[in-house]
Parts: sequence; C-alpha cells; structure tokens
Amino acid sequence: MYRALRRSAAASVYLVVGLRTALPSMLGLYLLPFAGLLAMLFVLVPWLPDVLRPVRALAGIERRRAGRALGREIPEPYPAVEGPSLERVVRLLRDPSTWRDLAWMVLHGLSGFLMGVLAIGLWPSILFALSMPLWWWAAPEGSMSAFIVLDSWPKALTMPFLQAAINAACLIWLLPHLARFQARLAGWLLGPSRRSSLTERVERLTETRAEALEAHGAELRRIERDLHDGTQAQLVAVALRLGLADRRFEADPDAARELFLQARDGVEEALTQLRAVIRGIYPPILSDRGLPGAIRTLAAGQHIPVRLELPGEAEARVPAAVEAAAYFVVAEALTNIARHSGATKAEVVLHRADSSLRVLVRDDGKGGAGTAGGSGLAGIRRRVAALDGTTRIDSPAGQGTTLEVELPCGS
Amino acid sequence: MRIVIAEDNALLREGLVLLLTTDGHEVAAVAEDGPGVLPALLEHRPDVAVLDVRLPPGFRDEGLRAAIAARKEIPGLPVLVLSQYVEETYAAELLAGGAGGIGYLLKDRVGRVEEFLDALRRVAAGGTALDPEVVAQLMTSRHDPISSLTPREREVLGLMAQGLDNSTIATTLVITERSVSKHIGAVFAKLGLPPSDSGHRRVLAVLAYLYS
Repeated sequence: MYRALRRSAAASVYLVVGLRTALPSMLGLYLLPFAGLLAMLFVLVPWLPDVLRPVRALAGIERRRAGRALGREIPEPYPAVEGPSLERVVRLLRDPSTWRDLAWMVLHGLSGFLMGVLAIGLWPSILFALSMPLWWWAAPEGSMSAFIVLDSWPKALTMPFLQAAINAACLIWLLPHLARFQARLAGWLLGPSRRSSLTERVERLTETRAEALEAHGAELRRIERDLHDGTQAQLVAVALRLGLADRRFEADPDAARELFLQARDGVEEALTQLRAVIRGIYPPILSDRGLPGAIRTLAAGQHIPVRLELPGEAEARVPAAVEAAAYFVVAEALTNIARHSGATKAEVVLHRADSSLRVLVRDDGKGGAGTAGGSGLAGIRRRVAALDGTTRIDSPAGQGTTLEVELPCGS
Repeated sequence: MRIVIAEDNALLREGLVLLLTTDGHEVAAVAEDGPGVLPALLEHRPDVAVLDVRLPPGFRDEGLRAAIAARKEIPGLPVLVLSQYVEETYAAELLAGGAGGIGYLLKDRVGRVEEFLDALRRVAAGGTALDPEVVAQLMTSRHDPISSLTPREREVLGLMAQGLDNSTIATTLVITERSVSKHIGAVFAKLGLPPSDSGHRRVLAVLAYLYS
C-alpha cells in the first residue's frame, strides 16, 4: 500500500510538472492554425526556423524529463541544418522530426493539461469526499456523491465513502498509467524514428570507416618510413662499405678488412631494425603459437603475476590484422603496467563474441592513466582505430586501470 | 664433429654446410622440413644438431618441437636452435629438461663465424649458449633485485647467462679472470644464490633465478 501510494505520488509529481510543457503546448496548439495559414500564404516561411525554435526548446525540456522517467536518454533526432535560409526552411519542412515535434505538441497540449489537473485534484478530492458526511446537509441542493444525489442520511453515510474509494482507485491505478503514457508519448514522438536512427548509424559508420582508413594509412606510412629511413638506408651504407673495401682490397688489405667488419656490423643493425618492423606488423610468435599462446608468452615475461582468461573460443583464429592488434594492445598495456602503474597483479581477458574480439587488461595499480603524456595508450588507440575498433580506458586515481578494447572481426 | 642440420632456406643451408665443413666438421644429414628432423637425428645420432625454429610445412615452431622431442628420445643430445627472432619462452622450453647441451641463438650470429663456432663447440660439450637478446629479455623482466647490481656486475651476469666461461668473460670485458670471479661472487651474494662451480650448472642456477 505504501509503495502504491509512493508510486502514485511520483506519478502525480510527474504529471503536475508536465504542466510546465503542457500549458505552452496548449498555447502552441491554438497558434498552430494561424501559423499554418500564414505559412501557406508564404508570409511566415522565411522565419520558419525561428518559429520552430520555441517548439524545439519545449520538446527539449520534455525529452530530458521523460528520459529521466523512462531511465534512458532520448536522443535529439534533429539533423544538423546548414546553408542559406531558404534551403534550411526546405530541409526543416522535409525533416520528419519537425512534424513529429508538432504532433507531440498537439497531443501533449490536449492531454497533458487534463492529466495535470487530474493529478492535482485527485488527492484533495478524497479528503473532500470523506468529510462529506459531516456537512452534506449544508451543501447546495442537488450535491452528488458517486452520481447519487445526497438527500438522506443513509445515502450521505454511504455514498461519499464509495466516491472516496473510486477516487482512491483512480489515484492508485490510473495516475501511474497516465504518467507512463505521457513519458512514452514523448519517448516515441520526440526520439529519433527508426528510419532516422538507421540513417544516423550509417552516417556514424561512414565516419568511423573514414577514420579507420585514415589511421590504417598512417600505420602504412609509419612502416614505410621505418623501412625507408632505417633498414634501407642501413643496407645502402653496407653496400657502400663493401664497394669501398673491394677497391682497397689490393692496396690496403687492413683498411679493407676494417670496412668489411663495419659492413657486417651494419648488416646486424639492419637485421635488428627489420625484426622490430616485423614485430610491429605481425609478431612472429603469433604465427607460431596463435593469439592465446602469444599472450601466455607475454604474461610469462612479466615480473608481477598475470591472471589469464583465454577461453577456448579465442583459439579460433581471427583475422591476422585483428590478432596483431590484440597482441599489440596486450603487450603495450603490460609494458605500461610494468613501467607506470606500480601494480602487484594484473589480468588479461580475451572474449570472442559473434562479430568481435574483446580484450580486457586490468591492474590494481595507482590508476590515473590517460592517452595524453606520451604513454603507450595513444598508440593503442591509434592501432585499434585503424581496425574500426573502440578503446575504453577506466583509470580512476588509486583504483587501478582497466583497458577495454573491442575489435570487429568481420564474420 | 658430426652434425645434423635442419634449415629450409637453401642459401642459408648451403652457407651453414660450407661454414661447418670448412671448420673441419662433418655434416651427416640435412633436413629440409619439420617431419624430416627427428628421423634424421635418430638415424645419425650426431654430436650436435643445428635446427632452424621455423620449418615447412607449417612454418611455425617445428624445429623447436623437434629439438624437444629428440632430447626425449636421446637424452642430453646437444642441440643448437637458430631463429630469426628470439623469445624467452622458447628458451625456457628448451632448458626445461634441465640437462645441458642447449643453444638458442639469433640467425644473425652466424655472421660472427668464430663466436658462432665457439658457441657450437660449447653446446656440443654439454654447455649452454643463449643469445644476448634472450638474456636481455630475461633481465628486463626481472628488474627488481637486478637493479641492485652495478653495471659491471650486470654485464658479468648477462655473459654468464649466455653460457660463457670465466676466461671468455674476462676477454670480452677486457679484465682479469680474478676480477671476473670477484664480480661473480658479488652477483651470487646479491641475488642470494648458492655459490656454484663454473660451467653449465652455474648457468642453470642463474637462469633458474631469472625465470623464477
């Protein structure tokens, strides 16, 4: 009973606060025919965006209010509108969200006021009915309770209680339904329609795809630079030394020998650089042992215990690029943990969902990690973005760091 | 020495054969793929085997697996494993048996012929030859007590872990053998290891410490 009363009270508050948008909506409802008429005569057309602004502001208030009640945010459905004013007007008129806003305004203006008044009136009406037997005789002729004219004591001692019961039933049963209806109306009409959310999703995918291509390109350029400025230059220097050694071979064997040795050093250095580049593209341990095996190897090299959760399905090979990125993420994260976190233990979890690979690395260190400050986290983000993946870092000071990466893998 | 080689790259294979025969060794057999390694080793029972980690048909770690399998069949068979990259886990797997006669080197080291042949002889004699890179990986992942060592002591520890003996360490660092043993004593004391004689057991003690 107490809970039911509290629910009714919350519903009443919601409906009463609803008056704040319902009353202006009612005003808008009366003005709408005039606005429509003027618009048809093209008088109002240039100012249409300004006319719609208060409607949108009102819808915004309702969207936030209903969102809180529904427990989910109602996103704004308005696409960005730019360009010359006439084009803006055409876009506005063709935008379904404009019409949905107006439809909401009409419905809310009609119903919201009534519901608000009902929410205000129902509470005192119960007290009013309950006290009726005390003063019914003084009430004007023809006063009614439960649709019965009170003209005798027996009626006056029964009917008001029936009335109070009906009112209480309305309060407890009807008000929460009405409040929910009002919130859902807003959620349905003011949120993005199915079509517009699909449109938005396509737009977002296009955008992340463009970013991914850009990031991928940056990776390719980085590899090219490493090979071009490092390994290739090194080998040119080696070839040069060998050529010089060849020329001096007869005249000055000692100098030639020195050049040969320098050439060998150069080749060794080139090989070291080449190994680093290969490791950056696709670490060889991955083709030897697969992703779980490679991660086990990484964990074994740490000086703090690393708990691993590499379920069987992670053994199913994912695309090489995804494997390499996941390995890179874990390697970088563990390096960060060793260098900066002061953690005493860490954890690596791989999870293979239908169409993505989730990598989670967690430690119990001092937290406060961010992508700024030249840590490996920026590199992780870049590498993950190149595959259209997402990176999430949760690192509150003093409470450890959780890095979560999701990499789409096609299938 | 009689040697069995497993290497799939023809150029490198010929180079290795040339290098070993020039030094007066006999190449008893050459395996070109993973499945061929174990039969060749079992048939020829060489003094030492030189195996590439990555071999056809899988191009994964066939050579490493063949080495471990062969040492199960022929305990103590000296094996020198070569690879384009080194991974400390692989070194741990090779050394897990506890017996000596294990080498694990980057292929690059073949270029320094004398050092390579020296490592090969050491392995054949039951010693250890670990690539400096493996040792470096081990030492970075265990930086806590190792940071208490002086730079010179760290150098000595690294060379010791590679499997070098005192005189070679002395020549490499251009110091006397006496100061080498002094440094080694200090290293063992700081790491809390029981003093042990030189040779493979000492390497094992150091590696056991690094892996722990």
